Amino acid sequence: MNNILLSINITLMYSAPLILAALGGIISERSGVVNIGLEGMMTIGALVGAVIAYYTQNPWLGFICAGLAGCALAFLHAIASIKFKADQTISGLAMNFIGPGLSLFICKALFGGTNTSPTVTNKIPKILSWMQNPNKNIWTSNLNVDSTILIALLLTFAMWYFLYKTKLGLRVISVGENPKAAATLGINVHKVRYFCVLASGFLAGIGGASCSLAIISVFSPTVISGKGFIALAAVIFGKWTPQGALGACLLFGFAQSLVVLLGGNESIIPSQFLSMLPYILTIIVLVLFVGKSVGPKASGEPF
Amino acid sequence: MKKNLVIPILAISMLFVGCGNNSTAQSNSNTTSQVSEQAQTNNQTENKKVDFSNFSTAMVSDIGGINDKSFNQNSYDGFKRLNQDTGAKISYKESQQLSDYKVHFDALRDENVNLIWGIGYLLSSDVVNAAAMNPDQLYGIIDTDLDGKVPNNVIAVDFEDQEAAFLAGYIAANVTKTDKVGFIGGIPGRVISRFEYGYKAGVDYAARELNKKIGIETKYINSFVDDSMGKASALAMYNQGADIIYHASGNAGQGVIEAAKELNKLAIGVDMDQSYLAPKNVLTSTVKRTGDAVYDASYKTASGEHLGGQVLRYGLAKHGVSLADPNENTFNLMPKELYEKATKDIEEMIVSGKIKVPKDEKAYEKFVSEL
Amino acid sequence: MSIKISSLLKKSTTAIFISILLGFLVGGIILALSGFNPIQSYGELFKGVFSKPRYIVQTIIIATPVILTGISVAFAFKTGLFNIGAEGQFMMGAIAASFIGYKIDLPPIIHPIACLLGAMIFAGLYAVFVGWLKAKFGIHEVITSIMLNWIALYFNNYYVTLPSLKKPNSEGVYEVLDSARINILYNVKANQENILAFRDKIAELKGNVPIVNGVEKPTLFMKLLDTVQDIVFRTDINYGIFIAVAVAIIVGFILNKTTLGYSLKGVGINKYAAEAAGINVKKQIIMSMLISGAIAGLAGGIYITGMSPNRIITLSLHENYGFNGLSVALIANNNPIACIFSGLLFGALKYGGNAMQSQLGVPTEIINIVIGTIIFFIGMRLIFTIIADKLEKGENSNE
Repeated sequence: MNNILLSINITLMYSAPLILAALGGIISERSGVVNIGLEGMMTIGALVGAVIAYYTQNPWLGFICAGLAGCALAFLHAIASIKFKADQTISGLAMNFIGPGLSLFICKALFGGTNTSPTVTNKIPKILSWMQNPNKNIWTSNLNVDSTILIALLLTFAMWYFLYKTKLGLRVISVGENPKAAATLGINVHKVRYFCVLASGFLAGIGGASCSLAIISVFSPTVISGKGFIALAAVIFGKWTPQGALGACLLFGFAQSLVVLLGGNESIIPSQFLSMLPYILTIIVLVLFVGKSVGPKASGEPF
Repeated sequence: MKKNLVIPILAISMLFVGCGNNSTAQSNSNTTSQVSEQAQTNNQTENKKVDFSNFSTAMVSDIGGINDKSFNQNSYDGFKRLNQDTGAKISYKESQQLSDYKVHFDALRDENVNLIWGIGYLLSSDVVNAAAMNPDQLYGIIDTDLDGKVPNNVIAVDFEDQEAAFLAGYIAANVTKTDKVGFIGGIPGRVISRFEYGYKAGVDYAARELNKKIGIETKYINSFVDDSMGKASALAMYNQGADIIYHASGNAGQGVIEAAKELNKLAIGVDMDQSYLAPKNVLTSTVKRTGDAVYDASYKTASGEHLGGQVLRYGLAKHGVSLADPNENTFNLMPKELYEKATKDIEEMIVSGKIKVPKDEKAYEKFVSEL
Repeated sequence: MSIKISSLLKKSTTAIFISILLGFLVGGIILALSGFNPIQSYGELFKGVFSKPRYIVQTIIIATPVILTGISVAFAFKTGLFNIGAEGQFMMGAIAASFIGYKIDLPPIIHPIACLLGAMIFAGLYAVFVGWLKAKFGIHEVITSIMLNWIALYFNNYYVTLPSLKKPNSEGVYEVLDSARINILYNVKANQENILAFRDKIAELKGNVPIVNGVEKPTLFMKLLDTVQDIVFRTDINYGIFIAVAVAIIVGFILNKTTLGYSLKGVGINKYAAEAAGINVKKQIIMSMLISGAIAGLAGGIYITGMSPNRIITLSLHENYGFNGLSVALIANNNPIACIFSGLLFGALKYGGNAMQSQLGVPTEIINIVIGTIIFFIGMRLIFTIIADKLEKGENSNE
């Protein structure tokens, strides 16, 4: 039982930033703009989140500002892709250089040359933090996950509802599938795409903040380390649907929890192979259950 | 910046305040700082301010940059102090890929540097190759003894990490309330093994003293940067009953310490005083004074000593490694007598050779069998 | 007059040049904002790359692996595949080359060829797995590639632990044997005696330096000898660049002049049309990944046999040879020959960036921002075509 609860805890911890960033990838690509710059946007979000939360002692302010920082970076991507009809892959790639570079630069400028931000004493609360002593028994201790996973789950549902049940959401989808037809129907394709790319930046930003404000409570240059690309994989795995990406991220997080639980003092498998488990499992599940993933038709083409 | 001066000043002030007089050591830290600063300059410059302004030294850092709040930064701080004290010229080159090391070492040849440092054992083969190619250039390498085969123009600086780890283990075994402690390592290897087996030996030694059995959980997370995995592994260990975890996992350790904070358990930091990450949950840290070693060796070289071809070993004896100095929380987390016993009595036994701290599996098994 | 400008703008090379210029300009603004003199900084960058023959050689050496990973990614793009797995294929190629280079003893010229071939095959197969999953199950290559990149990283760290390969007292395996190296004139620096012997030989060839008016004035020939000695001893100069250029030409040839290339590109442009035309799309996908992976693996092989540290070492994170290859390919508009130049540009920015850092203290992250800015503007080069069209229209409507 202990192990099951622990597994849930680790799964949710790992998945939260991935889900948020993946949602960001989905909303952008659904509107037709490829966004491989999730990694850079997560990094700047992680930094800004940690910095603001440190100075204001308010983690939620940090969280929101992280989203806005991601937005700012996404704005560059949006202008390039939408207004200047840039190659969206290149533009996204540039974000992956600019984001981490800017983050390090700002951190060093603010904190006297060090590349790790000072510890955030007031980080994002856990869902059971209102309790007197949540660490009392294994149930409350393990199920006491960060609020970020709750936010991620809520946003997943919100995005699902938005995309499939609201007018604006269906517009987004139509813009991503056939922008010319959408334009003839009177939809302002550019405006929709701007909105989506900015939202994408915001989500990636808060995804990054959930690393530096929940998983640990500092920004360091290695705090993201590839999560943006895992999120990208989750978008495709989930066939560009929020619920699919959620499943992919949870699967990945679950596999990481297995790595922890199966590893240990004596193991027949070399530990490096055990560390490969999440990646191998993802491929296996892909083959057995997911199959083909086709993106939005107009994704990647400037309009 | 001031923080970096406090630790060496405190350390040296403790030397001068005397062994038994510790009750005043901490409160005197501010007043004795002037005394000790004088003592420091006395100690190292023999009543005369030295001018090494025509001596230059440079370092090639490992991946992580000179501001990594750890290894590289520590070494560069030593450089900065050298520059402040003696006017010696300092510079650095940051590496981003493994192939950068050789390129940087070569570029430094154009800059007329007296002593070129490689910071980290990953640079050892490039230092050796550069030394062979440039017999008239002096090099230094941190964190390896080059297996004893040190070229004449290389100064090898090695740290007896296992000695400080032993103290950490000793303290952990005495503080644990569940009789179960843990170790989390980054990527398995020679250097991390020193931490692992030194720690385990310390735990076993204390367990024998206390006449009880203390379990040690070990986990390697296969990364020095994956803080999520560090945190997850620590969560698992704490869940399984351990209440103190010592980590030697670089940046991933930020996750380990975070887990300790969240579950209100204890962690032990590495390479520098990591209590800033979780003041109430970091029991202590093992500190590695690469900066002091770099300062020492550079200073001696600048004064004309020829250290090439030697292995300079920094252990507890030379204060190259040690437990971090206590802060305002330390004695809430462990009894003062324990800290003192570890840093005096046990330390002395290690320095004098009465306790031979193992640094790999074979030596550890021997150690355990002889306990 | 403006018709000429518009036609000039339409040329893609102009667009790239303007983009690079804009990138440098905005990068200069960033440098200024961070407190560095942009002109001085770029001066150091330029000097750091061009002021000595040895620097140029170093730049070429650094650029070689990313030129090849760039060609790998570019080729894949041309055939409709996003090979973001070049990173993992590079590592697998490096591992294969390391194994063959150390464990198997072969005579000099054959050894490096075996290493590089082994690298290409091993990495090619690694990539074929991605292609096969796509062909058979329709699984998107980006996901599998990203997963395989991480699997390769952990495999890299596992490989280092193998007892017969691990170099004691280090976190890596043994270097490849001397016979496997692709460095030019490696023998003269293989050991201490050879180094001294070569030095003596050069000194002998140089003879006495003539003294004119009391000052030493070495002849051009002497300076040349010094430069050669400089380059051979101080850099990892290797045949890799020639291999990279040859590969670029071959790949360009395959793509543009062979039926294989045509069918691969056809699948890339419209795979349904290609299928209708009778092309076995599944086979092409696998073939395409095989070639792309092999090229990335070749990059890894050249890295191991030609560049320090000449061995596999534990890694916490990817070294980014593959990801930088992605940048190189995109900047080159997926043209294999252009990859040579964009790879050189990348190498120059990296190597010159080192000079900026050591001479002026410009931190590495600023250099990365500048590189990102240049890439960003290059991505926007299409805008010049649009401006050109508008100019043309304006000119036409004025008549």
